[in-house]
Amino acid sequence: MNNSTVNSISTPDAREGMAAYSKSRLQVAWEQFRKHQLALFGALILFAMYVGAIFSPFISPYGLTEYSTSNITRFHPPTQVRFFDEKGAFGFPFVYATKSELDMTTFAQTYVEQPNIKCPIRFFVSRPEQPYNLFFVIPTSIRLFAVDQPCNIFLMGADLYGRDVFTRLWYGAAVSLTIGIFAVTLSTVIGLIMGGLAGYYGGWIDNLVMRFIEIIGAIPGLFLLLTLTSVLPQDINPLLVFYSIIFLLGLIGWGGLARTVRSQISALRESDMVQAATALGASEARVIAVHMLPITFSLLIVGLSLGIPGAILAESGLSFLGRGIREPYSSWGSMIAQAQEGGFSSIAYRPWMLIPGFFIVIAVLCWQFLGDGLRDALDPRKRQ
Amino acid sequence: MLGFIARRFLNLIPVFIGATMLVFLLIQAAPGNFLDERKLDARTTATTIERLERQFGLDKSLPEQYALWLGNFVTGNLGISFDSNIAVWDLIAPKIGNSAILVFGELILLYLIAVPIGIYGAVRQYSLGDKVMSLVSYFFIGFPSFFLALLIIFGLVWFKLRTGSFLLPVGGMTSENHASMSFIGQVLDILWHLIAPMLALLIGDIAGLSRTFRAQMLEFLGQDFVRTARAKGLPERVVIYKHTLRNALTPFIAGIGALLPAILSGAGFIEVVFNWPGLTPVFLEAINSQDLYVLLSTTAVSLVLLVIGNLISDFLLAVVDPRIRYF
Repeated sequence: MNNSTVNSISTPDAREGMAAYSKSRLQVAWEQFRKHQLALFGALILFAMYVGAIFSPFISPYGLTEYSTSNITRFHPPTQVRFFDEKGAFGFPFVYATKSELDMTTFAQTYVEQPNIKCPIRFFVSRPEQPYNLFFVIPTSIRLFAVDQPCNIFLMGADLYGRDVFTRLWYGAAVSLTIGIFAVTLSTVIGLIMGGLAGYYGGWIDNLVMRFIEIIGAIPGLFLLLTLTSVLPQDINPLLVFYSIIFLLGLIGWGGLARTVRSQISALRESDMVQAATALGASEARVIAVHMLPITFSLLIVGLSLGIPGAILAESGLSFLGRGIREPYSSWGSMIAQAQEGGFSSIAYRPWMLIPGFFIVIAVLCWQFLGDGLRDALDPRKRQ
Repeated sequence: MLGFIARRFLNLIPVFIGATMLVFLLIQAAPGNFLDERKLDARTTATTIERLERQFGLDKSLPEQYALWLGNFVTGNLGISFDSNIAVWDLIAPKIGNSAILVFGELILLYLIAVPIGIYGAVRQYSLGDKVMSLVSYFFIGFPSFFLALLIIFGLVWFKLRTGSFLLPVGGMTSENHASMSFIGQVLDILWHLIAPMLALLIGDIAGLSRTFRAQMLEFLGQDFVRTARAKGLPERVVIYKHTLRNALTPFIAGIGALLPAILSGAGFIEVVFNWPGLTPVFLEAINSQDLYVLLSTTAVSLVLLVIGNLISDFLLAVVDPRIRYF
């Protein structure tokens, strides 16, 4: 019985069969990942969002800071796109012009449609008054859709200054979605270096790094972030704020990863494999880079994808409190802050100002799904 | 035990010094200081500025300023607030109280609700109820707390526009006529205002904690001692509530101490959105006006709470886990 099993495995055919079934680590991980439907779904939605962010000037009908000084559109509700004209005939989509009126009972600004002024929605329009650089390099002024004056097309309403929320949402996507990636990449690099140093050298370096992580961890997170933002001057270039926020979020987020890397590296240092490499005359740098860091690779991927939603939430929170992204740039967090402008009750008169919040939720959820999928795919113990 | 506490305490001193020094340096690194705005005011004379500088110790060197603050802090003097010109402790103590009401109540409800949900999810894994709860909590983990708070406020205001009356108060901690109420009335008034912000806190936190607790329960349910308990013929109730739950709860009970500093900063955004007079709005204001000692002492108080919380955690862990002994 025993003999026959051994024989059957050692026949050439069986060997070939086994070779055909052995897969590389990456293949196994990919097959696992494909089974995780939520992760695939998350990846798909995120892909769409990032494409939208890259093409933000193209898909938005207005410029980032564009608003009319003659035709006031402060908190203009979403424009209704119509397919049927007053006679009920189906036709090309169009919008009516609106006129602002003061409601004499509530003293709130209202906007009334003017059926006599009709503007068709035009696609692939050139708006030379608002040129932009696609991908930061190609100068152009083509917008996916727009309407002519005096009409406005505010698919998601207008904000405090009368700027188009839809436009600012996509410009903001470029900010909100990339800050997370950059910040977490930075904190991963710091965590890797610090954890690697502490784990490999031990001794006083280890002590110093670990105490520093403890110090950062001891200060309440929100307080630390707010204090850090106060270092930025008030009159600083708003674009510089974007980089600073990345820097700040990256600076405080590396503790957990450094700890994990440290424990893994210090365990590896004693392993036979590293001892052998050292005995063969490999330099310290080579041992760390070639023999140790690749083992922490799956840890890094998972840490990255699970850290990004946290960084997106942190950025939106800072911007919501007015200590993150500054005007004229937009981020999803700073856009929501305008919902409450002028007291608690005002929120009910402009619910469209809350729309960016749902984008935060979707982005965070999808990153979470993606991270879970990657963790399950790369962690052998979680495989099914 | 005493020796252990003393050792832990000594270990935490460098963390305390390091953290306060870090915050002190950050505030000093911020451009300008509190007096800049006063200097721009034409009515303020140079002598007034000088007097203020001397009074607040701003004319001294940085190490001297820090040492001065540290010495004062250790003796219980938290410094004065530049902005409101009162002692920092008098400024933040009532706010800490307000934050504590919110966070304390929330934590109790959180554990009372999230733990049973976690147990249910683990015991009836993949049942319809578990799937629904998993999906719902997955969904709410993605919500920024301030956004959830805004949605709740929106719902309440919308309800008011429809029916003409507020279902719950949308902001603040007390009604306008709070001062004229009886004591019982005042307590009820605060509880009444507490519901909406607490709801905003609870939804997000329950989603997180119930999932962690479910995973914890599942881990223990798969272990050998649980199989042994079942094989012995123990009733399922005993297996779950005595053998599994006690083990799964251990890290959470020990973690209660670590929640102590959260009483200061935990409600963060919710306090800002709901206009709850807690510590976060004060901290935010102090950041804006560079009120040095308010920022420094608030951080320091939370560090002290962290130290105490850690000690409580160690103590609780020794109580609930008979394997751990410190002496």
